[in-house]
Amino acid sequence: MRVIRQKPMTLGERLYIFEALRGLWTTLKHAARGLFRYETLPTISYPEGKPEVRNTYRAKHRLMLRPDGTPRCVACGMCAAACPAHCIFIEATASDDPRIEKRVMRFDIDHLTCVFCGLCVEACPVDALRMDTKEMVFEHRNRDDFVAHLYDLTNWDPKDYPDDEQSQVAPGGTKNAEALRVWGMEVK
Amino acid sequence: MDIIESKTWVEWLITIAKFAFCFVPVLYILLLIPMERRGAGFMQDRQGPNRSYIKIPYFGKIRLFGYVQNMCDGTKLFFKEMFAPAGVNKVLYYVAPAIPFAIVFLSPCVIPWFGPMVFEWGGKMVRIPGSIIDSDVGVLLLFGFSSLSAFGAVLAGWASKSKYSFLGALRTSSMTISYEVCLGLSMMGILLLAGSFNLTDIVTWQEHHVWGIVAQPVAFFCFLIASIAETGRAPFDVAEGEPELVAGYHTEYGAMQFGLFYMGEYSHICINSFLIATLFLGGYAVPFVTTETMQAHMGGSLAVLCGILAFLALAFLHMVHRYSKKLAATAQTHRFEVLREYKLYNIIAWAAVAVFVILGVCAWFFYNPSNMVVNGVAVGSLATALGTALIHLLVLVVKSVMFCWVWIWVRWTLPRFRYDHVMNLGWKIILNIALINLVVTAVIAKLVGGN
Repeated sequence: MRVIRQKPMTLGERLYIFEALRGLWTTLKHAARGLFRYETLPTISYPEGKPEVRNTYRAKHRLMLRPDGTPRCVACGMCAAACPAHCIFIEATASDDPRIEKRVMRFDIDHLTCVFCGLCVEACPVDALRMDTKEMVFEHRNRDDFVAHLYDLTNWDPKDYPDDEQSQVAPGGTKNAEALRVWGMEVK
Repeated sequence: MDIIESKTWVEWLITIAKFAFCFVPVLYILLLIPMERRGAGFMQDRQGPNRSYIKIPYFGKIRLFGYVQNMCDGTKLFFKEMFAPAGVNKVLYYVAPAIPFAIVFLSPCVIPWFGPMVFEWGGKMVRIPGSIIDSDVGVLLLFGFSSLSAFGAVLAGWASKSKYSFLGALRTSSMTISYEVCLGLSMMGILLLAGSFNLTDIVTWQEHHVWGIVAQPVAFFCFLIASIAETGRAPFDVAEGEPELVAGYHTEYGAMQFGLFYMGEYSHICINSFLIATLFLGGYAVPFVTTETMQAHMGGSLAVLCGILAFLALAFLHMVHRYSKKLAATAQTHRFEVLREYKLYNIIAWAAVAVFVILGVCAWFFYNPSNMVVNGVAVGSLATALGTALIHLLVLVVKSVMFCWVWIWVRWTLPRFRYDHVMNLGWKIILNIALINLVVTAVIAKLVGGN
């Protein structure tokens, strides 16, 4: 066990007054900063100014899309199994595409129950589920609106993710045409 | 009729107009609350309350740098329901908050707001003192008034029928009593030197010799601590220490009754800072310039005053400009709204600069009333006396605002003392220092050969 012995206070410290004056000087510096350098204060006036969000921030989910616009999800249910909060609900149905076995018919995430741990993203074998939307505000009028359905999860714009190649593959992205050709070629 | 005819109408007018100074502490509340809130914010690297606004049609939102927040809070307090818990002593419960607030109107009576106005009117020399009551027991009267405000706390605590209120009231009363002693004793040194209880005489002494803070630094220190303690503000706010006593004597109060306590506290700060400024910082005296010099060059003095005000307006403009530039570069969605408001402030401040410059130039060239010296006293016209009074008043206000800032500054820096520490500090340290200071001052004054 490590014992930290505090140094006994020196006479100047025990007199209190000098230390108090030192503290006053510190607060005076900060007050002067606020008064004369108001614009350097670290506060972000929130609804008007948005904070910078890191790429790794676990925000609202989205489902990645194939070049033809169908969700990449294969309805394996790994994310639902991994979810500690049991907030993912998946119903699978047969896929129209002969290369793919299943597709999702229903993919709901209840954001009121979600704990934003990111385990679903880790569990996904096909990189279909991501949490990189940087949307951190959940503001709805009733509880049902907090449940994100398949439409909400796939309704994102590739232009918002310019640096991400996987997102550009989706319809509307810069690499969509090329990817669509490749995707179509593999059928034969 | 004899009384009325004993003075000319100008004397009566000024004497009655002086009663307006009773409202100065109440006006100071308007200044102190935003100062406290924004100041506290700045000390903690926050911005402080700045979001409330008034919407002006066809213009936009006016935020007044967060000042609107205080108006909102005041309005809220004013329109809230007055509520008394069951079992309280109704009369005392309702009277108690009014006591500290009513005292506020009495205390400013003895403070000299400007030097005695001496001027020549209708062939006679007229002398009007700077305080509302030019009493020879001025300081004692002031102390009497300000210790009366403890009654408010005591009655509130007793009438509320709550343990916390009662304990808070007990602590307030004991603290007020113990620190009144220190307050009185630490002040005695400067009274000895000036040889008078009259505040005007004390200021005059300081004007002619040296400021109290130089002559009596130890007394100044003791007095400052004791008066902070007497107002019951942090670090001496054991009476309303929220971890122990919820909110002390005003636990059971809400709405404007609480508001009255709150305003009473701020006004008390105002009065005490006026007192410190008067006793130790030369009161209305302008530093390094005697009143006689100022009166001899009245136009120049007013021009300098206008110059200082214009400089302050320019400094304000500079700060607004800096912030606007930074704000315009950000992506904040409300930036155009705020910039528009700042444009309004810019216009007002530039107008103020222009007005001050014009006034200053006019004063320099055209406001030079003639003075004459009668028996060593400069006797000028009413114009000189009014100009002097204006400068004196502004100087006193600046000094007292500085001390108000000390109150806020100390509050947001030092942690609260424990109750026994407060009592130890009061009775065992400050009282002794004040006594020793008094003895030393008395001996030196006797040896040097004062009065």
